[in-house]
Amino acid sequence: MEQFEPLVSIAPWEFIFTICNLLILTAAIKHFFFNRVNKVLEERRQQVETTYAEADEAKTAAVQMKQEYEAHMASAKEEAASLVKDATQRAQDRSDEILGAARAEASAMKAKAESDIEAERRRAAGELKHEISGIALTIAGKVVEKELDADTHKALIDDFIDNLGDAS
Amino acid sequence: MEVNITGAQIYFEIPILGGIPITETIVNSWIVMLVIIGLCLFLTSDLKVRGVSKRQVVAEMLVTTAQNFVNTNMGEKFAHYGPFVAALFASSLLSNLLSLIGMFPPTSDLSTTLAWAVLVFVLITATKIRTSGVLGYMKGFTQPIFVLTPFNILSELATPISMAFRHFGNIVSGGVISALVYAALAALSSLVLGLLPGVLGDVLSQIPIFQVGIPAVLSVYFDLFSGFMQAFIFCMLTTLYIGNAAEE
Repeated sequence: MEQFEPLVSIAPWEFIFTICNLLILTAAIKHFFFNRVNKVLEERRQQVETTYAEADEAKTAAVQMKQEYEAHMASAKEEAASLVKDATQRAQDRSDEILGAARAEASAMKAKAESDIEAERRRAAGELKHEISGIALTIAGKVVEKELDADTHKALIDDFIDNLGDAS
Repeated sequence: MEVNITGAQIYFEIPILGGIPITETIVNSWIVMLVIIGLCLFLTSDLKVRGVSKRQVVAEMLVTTAQNFVNTNMGEKFAHYGPFVAALFASSLLSNLLSLIGMFPPTSDLSTTLAWAVLVFVLITATKIRTSGVLGYMKGFTQPIFVLTPFNILSELATPISMAFRHFGNIVSGGVISALVYAALAALSSLVLGLLPGVLGDVLSQIPIFQVGIPAVLSVYFDLFSGFMQAFIFCMLTTLYIGNAAEE
């Protein structure tokens, strides 16, 4: 024979068991469910915070690096410009110097050549005068058929040629 | 045709302390407890901070929802009530849903719901005493005027009783109506099929064919909707009462 409780009744032992069950279940849910899940949630929250902090840090560092880089770039550009300017200036000076030296050398060489030519011409003219006076003396001796006084006449002829040269 | 509507079946008695009866209520509430603890262990196995599984998503959602529910109704300082309210809701809901698979729901036993309600009443009273002291708690009964003291005491005692009977009544009425409907359908199908001629009618009238499908419609309301609603209402009242107790 199966025994049943009345439909509406209060059984003391059931009452006590139910309260104990609920308390045990609360402890179990707290220990096995809430604590475990909350631990993970807390860890995740901390990780997210750490990640955000790191991201902010990295961003600040990047901005700083960018500023530094830009400053470096600007100064480098300036330096390069001044370097190029200096180099150009120096090259200009150098080329001017070289040109001046070359010009001076050329004019010196020209002057020397001119003086050489002049000296040569004078020497050639002197030789020519000497030869011509010899030839003239010989020819005159032949013409007058007599021995001329070489020294006397030579002076005479030289004088003549000199006058001739001056006249020319 | 006889329809017996009774309480929990008594399986046997442990012959100590004047006999401890082991009833369907107790056994089924142990089953509910085991299922809840098993679910907790299953959902929280292999928890990870990153790359979570679907299981963990469900677990985190449950914890967050329960905690939000408690924090909203009771305030942040009662956050430690989260596991208690979750345990209350889970036992109530799963107990109610046991009727879906034809088992006796422990919540259709007044002992169960009254035990919960009394525990909640103790928590309410403890919170009140902690908030305003023993004298303050006593003095609260004479407010706003001394004449109202008996009524205040009545209304205080009515809290657990109304909570217990509301929950119990809703679940047990569902069970009673289901039992009546099943009996009525069996009678109807025996009556209708008995009209069939010869042996066919004799055999078919023994099988309550009308019980198939039709009670499912009622079950959606009484077992699913009402079961969920009563669990929710019980927890809602628990959190609100305890939360209010701290404000006085």
